Amino acid sequence: MSEIILKVENLKKEFLLSKDRKINAVKGISFEVKRGEIFGFLGPNGAGKSTTISMLTTQKEPTSGEILIDGQSALENPALARRKIGVVAQHNNLDRGLTARENLIFHAKYFGMDEATANKRADEYLEKFGLKDRQHDYVRGFSGGMAQRLKIARAIMHNPDILFLDEPTTGLDPSYRTILWEQMLALNKAGTTIFLTTHYMEEPEQLCDRIAIVDQGELKAIGTADELKALIPTNNIISIKLAALDLAFVQQAKALPEVENATIQNGVLLLYMKHERPDFNQILEWIKTLNTSLQNVSLSTSTLDDAFIHLTGKESIDNGHKK
Amino acid sequence: MAIKNKTNTNINTNVSWIAFKTMVKRDLLIQARDKWEFVFRVAMLPFMLILLYGYILPKVGLVPETFPTQMFPGIVGMSILVTGIHGTAVPLTMDFNMSREIEDRLMAPVNVRIVALAKMFVGIIESWIGGLIVLPLSIIFMGSSLKLTLNLQQILVLIPILLLAAISSATLGLLVGTIIKPSQIAAMFPGFLIPMVFLGAIFFSWNALTVTPIIKILVLVNPLVYVNEALRAVITPQITHMPIFYSVLGIVLSILIMGYFGAKRFIGMAKGK
Repeated sequence: MSEIILKVENLKKEFLLSKDRKINAVKGISFEVKRGEIFGFLGPNGAGKSTTISMLTTQKEPTSGEILIDGQSALENPALARRKIGVVAQHNNLDRGLTARENLIFHAKYFGMDEATANKRADEYLEKFGLKDRQHDYVRGFSGGMAQRLKIARAIMHNPDILFLDEPTTGLDPSYRTILWEQMLALNKAGTTIFLTTHYMEEPEQLCDRIAIVDQGELKAIGTADELKALIPTNNIISIKLAALDLAFVQQAKALPEVENATIQNGVLLLYMKHERPDFNQILEWIKTLNTSLQNVSLSTSTLDDAFIHLTGKESIDNGHKK
Repeated sequence: MAIKNKTNTNINTNVSWIAFKTMVKRDLLIQARDKWEFVFRVAMLPFMLILLYGYILPKVGLVPETFPTQMFPGIVGMSILVTGIHGTAVPLTMDFNMSREIEDRLMAPVNVRIVALAKMFVGIIESWIGGLIVLPLSIIFMGSSLKLTLNLQQILVLIPILLLAAISSATLGLLVGTIIKPSQIAAMFPGFLIPMVFLGAIFFSWNALTVTPIIKILVLVNPLVYVNEALRAVITPQITHMPIFYSVLGIVLSILIMGYFGAKRFIGMAKGK
């Protein structure tokens, strides 16, 4: 058993669009995931997250690079690697023609599990994921939340060392997201390493041990949430609520001497200041020149969301969960 | 170390075998739950051909009384081939492109070839059912005019030919399933199955095409020609047919060629190409 459950070395993926046009979806990324970690893999749409997850889970062949799962090459022996990984895809890929219980049993048997063990584990997970009453119903009639629970139950039927979840909570209502996270934390406590991608910034900030931020196929940063937040030039952010917002304000603000960067988030103008304890007067002077009235101004410290914007230059899709 | 490796290999073989059986069981279970769709899909084409060419037209007098005997081996071969192609190709393309249900099987800790083999095996079983369905239909509608006598020796030759025909239909299904997209299934009938069926030496034997030499050469790309000629050589040897060596060779070559490209395309798709 290796302490490093997943090691990725200079992983690259090129897609050939036509004879002379290609896309470099993943441009040589390297990182490690330790056994027992909850590892967050964040990035804006099109950053190469799904392509990377597909390669890590042997569903796509990399153009070059190496993937070691528990110390063994997943490229040389993908079948062996698959025994150690569980995958929860973003889309619903459950077997619609089978019942919930059959989905679990068949999956277990694809892994060579015997009938008795498969049934025992199916009982346990159907109970744990609240699907016992619906176990003999066909999956095609399941709601999004139920399908999601079943996908996770199915992915852990063969007791994987590392569980990959691609956007597991997207499309779920907030209360259900909490339940799902409790289940994943319990699973992690029981020893399963968790690798996930998500759009919701507060999830990795609260739950992930370490986070990698990718953009345009490159790894921008990796570390704990605090380490990533510390990457912002200053911890000080001024958030300004104005009666009317104009995109031109962002450009104007960026031109101000003390402002490092500026963006609009959830209808609030955010100024990332170059130094701590910024000169409020200067900012207020500038606001006076704008053709609108000031409603609120406050100083806040950075969040993971801010680190994300700083590193990728893009706003996360997460709207209204922070600030 | 050597002993440990051997144990590992045994475990892997065992897992592969359980996985294969489970994948076959899964496909058969899904099909069994939709059994009337299956019966309708498999029986309708041979039924219509038997009804028209084996019953109505001989009765009307537009084809000779001997025509049912002439076409019987061809109908069996056609039913095997079409059922197997359909049974492999359609679920394969749907699984890969629409429902993506196959992903769970591709994530099994076995060589992805096992997944392809399981799909083909299901196609083989279905194709035999397709061949069997023709028998009662033939007896009901053409029984009185069928001149067939099968001795033990003929039956012993027939079995491997039926097996080869079924494998050929599954490999063709694998290839077709990796080429067509779900949106093209409707086009598969007029574009692929109809020419294969009507130029597949069902209603004529290949030798009879000497009068149309170009067509005689062109139809050699059609695997159904070899299947039907081989069946004809065994079931109705009195009717002119391709020497059985060549028809069996044709089936084997089509299995090898289509199996090679089908497997290559399948593995490519499994690797996300």
